[in-house]
Amino acid sequence: MLYFEKRQSVPRYFKVIIPIISLLIGLIIGAIAVAIVGINPLDVYGGILSNAFGSWYAFSETLVAATPLILITAGLIVVFRMNVWNIGAYGQYIMGAIFSSYFALFASHGLSKPVMLAVMVISSMVGGAIWALIPTLLKIFWEVNEVITTLLLNYIALYTLKFLMYGPWKNPESYGFPLSKTFPQTAILPVLFKGTRLTVGIIFALIAVLIVWFLIKKSKFGYEVRIIGDNPLAAKYAGISVNRNIIIGMAINGALAGLAGMTEVSGIVHYLQVKIGADYGYTAIIVAWISYLDPLVTILASILFGGLASGGYSLQITMRVSYGIVGLIESITLFSLVGAQIFLNYKLRWKNGSS
Amino acid sequence: MDHHSIYISLLANTVKAGTILLFPTIGEIFTERAGILNLGVEGMMLIGAFIGFIVAYTTKDPYLGFFAGTIAGGIASLIHAFISITLRGNQIVSGLALTIFGGGFTTFYGQKWINMTLNNTLPTVKLPILSKIPYIGPIFFSQDLIVYLSYITVLVMWFILYKTTMGLNLRAVGENAKAANAMGISVYRVRYMWTFFGGLLAGAGGAYLTTSYAPFWLDGITAGRGWIAIALVIFAMWDPLKALFGAYLFGGINALQFQLQASGTTIPSAILNMLPYIGTFIVITISSIIVKTRHVRPPKELGIPYIREEK
Repeated sequence: MLYFEKRQSVPRYFKVIIPIISLLIGLIIGAIAVAIVGINPLDVYGGILSNAFGSWYAFSETLVAATPLILITAGLIVVFRMNVWNIGAYGQYIMGAIFSSYFALFASHGLSKPVMLAVMVISSMVGGAIWALIPTLLKIFWEVNEVITTLLLNYIALYTLKFLMYGPWKNPESYGFPLSKTFPQTAILPVLFKGTRLTVGIIFALIAVLIVWFLIKKSKFGYEVRIIGDNPLAAKYAGISVNRNIIIGMAINGALAGLAGMTEVSGIVHYLQVKIGADYGYTAIIVAWISYLDPLVTILASILFGGLASGGYSLQITMRVSYGIVGLIESITLFSLVGAQIFLNYKLRWKNGSS
Repeated sequence: MDHHSIYISLLANTVKAGTILLFPTIGEIFTERAGILNLGVEGMMLIGAFIGFIVAYTTKDPYLGFFAGTIAGGIASLIHAFISITLRGNQIVSGLALTIFGGGFTTFYGQKWINMTLNNTLPTVKLPILSKIPYIGPIFFSQDLIVYLSYITVLVMWFILYKTTMGLNLRAVGENAKAANAMGISVYRVRYMWTFFGGLLAGAGGAYLTTSYAPFWLDGITAGRGWIAIALVIFAMWDPLKALFGAYLFGGINALQFQLQASGTTIPSAILNMLPYIGTFIVITISSIIVKTRHVRPPKELGIPYIREEK
């Protein structure tokens, strides 16, 4: 019979090979899912590939999708390392968008562009952080499960946005469409390359990754985070304040997710609407896992999954292939990744006869 | 309609809407009792809702649809079971993957079913004598057969959990897998079985939604009910009887929201739609405080993989 035997050492290439194989399994099962409804998987993947990486413009769109992913994942890494499960990045992203839009829509008078953008950046980070700290404080004081509360706050944020878009913030000239007035020119992030939608948001994202990398690898905070993740009890005995680090981690996570919301409304959409961005919150969880919570690797993984999202989205329009295929590929990849973790600690062995 | 019958119909709808939550809550209680945390309830419900809908639509038989959706939920749960039991993977992430999978699967295959409506929904079967009881009769016993099945499920599962060897073994596995194994219980088998059971009931909840309460297909039709069910497990403190109250409480919020919308209220619909989530948020906070102070606690080894010692 087959059984698992404990490994003495892990070959280094495993950490490279497992994510690649997981993604391949995701793509193969995705291909089968597509073939079942009579579509040629090669057309689909060819379409995604060319829509994501086929031209400079396509690639710039991939980077546009990767920007919020990088920002959200950079924060997720910090809390996941402490085994705190923030599933609420999407809600924090929406709150960031709402907070920064408030200033763009109602308080832009007389502010120069740099001041306006700075106000929007800060307010989005505050909004996201507040939304992340509500479940964090509940977790710390009363052990309220953060997976459930952060997730519920996604829905609450979404309906808050809908309330604003159908009610008080609605543009009276939008012919009934649920969207706000267009932002003033001073509230719009500058584009980096002419003819693309790629804004300085991507630079924010890269800076965020560098800061998180420094925090995790080089600071006392990162050291404490690692101990908390390995053994929270030992951390307590060592005099590390677990709660304080969790609060800081969640504040960073929420602030970066909020900033991602700001880069989307201020950089891409230029007004507030009910649908801002795709399900970045979930995708970021996959990106974080496939990168083994390594900040620098997340940049690469974000571009990969940003490409999948952007390519998949274009495909929906050009080939009428449902966007659901992206979720299918992502989830199978995640299943494979989680399932394959066992090979880091065990090897599969064959034993004759019964045990 | 006079006031009296409005209240009766509101409460009857409360039971219907509550049934959608009751099945998955009971299922998750048993999965968690076995020590497995399955956060994929939303995904399994979506799959159950979708398969239930298309089978009921194509065969014109809502019972067959309900049955198929139930099985589909069970099958979906086996992915999570394999990863968390056999491969000892992280149960939180695997459960989330299952939720994403359910969303992706139903969005992809559901594309051409969007906005289709089911004509043959589960028929009302008034129970003789019982349905004649004033108030109670029209609320609880003038429903469809699946609602009656949910009553039986609650009672039978309560009995199994507390009064049978099967229930004893189940609780032993969730509390201390190593000791259970020493007692000769197959930890893996018990965990597989109850994870599958949880999947079946999540599928049942989803399928009940599309064959009775909302007989049409929309993308993401379960709208977070799977997460509400997971919160209700804590509210119920892992007890099937208490799950009944939680499910009907939220069924009531749902029914009220629907009734208000139908009556053309001035409350914005976004606020009405937000109510169940705010309600769940408050309820889970209060229940967690109670759990903490009363020393009721989750199964001790919830979420911890079991590794049998290999020599």
